Amino acid sequence: MGIPSGYTSAQVVQAVPTGINSALVLISSTTIGNAVSSVTVSNAFSSTYDAYQIIVSGGVASTDAGLTMHFGSTTTGYYFFQNYSFYNSSTLTIDNRNNQSNFIAAAATAGGLHGNIFVNSPNLAKPTRFDLVRAHPLTTSLGGIVLGFENSNTQHTAFTLTTTTGTVTGGTIRVYGYANS
Amino acid sequence: MATYKIQIDNEVRDATPAEVAQIEARQAEAEARAEAAEARAVARQAVLDRLGLTEQEAQLLLGS
Repeated sequence: MGIPSGYTSAQVVQAVPTGINSALVLISSTTIGNAVSSVTVSNAFSSTYDAYQIIVSGGVASTDAGLTMHFGSTTTGYYFFQNYSFYNSSTLTIDNRNNQSNFIAAAATAGGLHGNIFVNSPNLAKPTRFDLVRAHPLTTSLGGIVLGFENSNTQHTAFTLTTTTGTVTGGTIRVYGYANS
Repeated sequence: MATYKIQIDNEVRDATPAEVAQIEARQAEAEARAEAAEARAVARQAVLDRLGLTEQEAQLLLGS
């Protein structure tokens, strides 16, 4: 079966055709500007979807860094566990954090930006849960996972990515929703 | 005061003083997390050195 007119692929579509009960739906695609320290994506979350996938790709960072994330204007109450290891080391670092203002969400390096972030229930009146993998595309850097939640019942519609240092240029932030039914 | 550019959806502009403070606070917290993790790694290595264990041997004993 071919890709229907107006759709970008057979699996990931821009609208759910009649009769299709499950799909990832592209909600927004934001191109990152020149030498910015933070990017806010408004209207990312809504009552249409309970769960979301956020993909950050392409682009370049001014230095090897990370991108932190927070939801809406909420800058407290982030609880998470992360572990990571440098590619050139056998040491696994385990880190637990309580009541932070943000969490590390993506890699930002001269080799590109990399983010693969799953967000559950950001627009429901429940704590927002997140889990993600990050893999810095540098032989001297690291890969790891982050699992956690934002401990409020705030119904978020937006999120912001902020560099841990330096700036990012180019690349794309794509937000997908998991169809509820 | 440092200057930063921020992006909201497709608009890029200079950060206001309040926004600069917010960015710097977020970056400071991220830096503190990284420094704390590094300090723990250094302390762990110091203990391993005292015990005469390699990292791999420690992982076999402790699981991580």
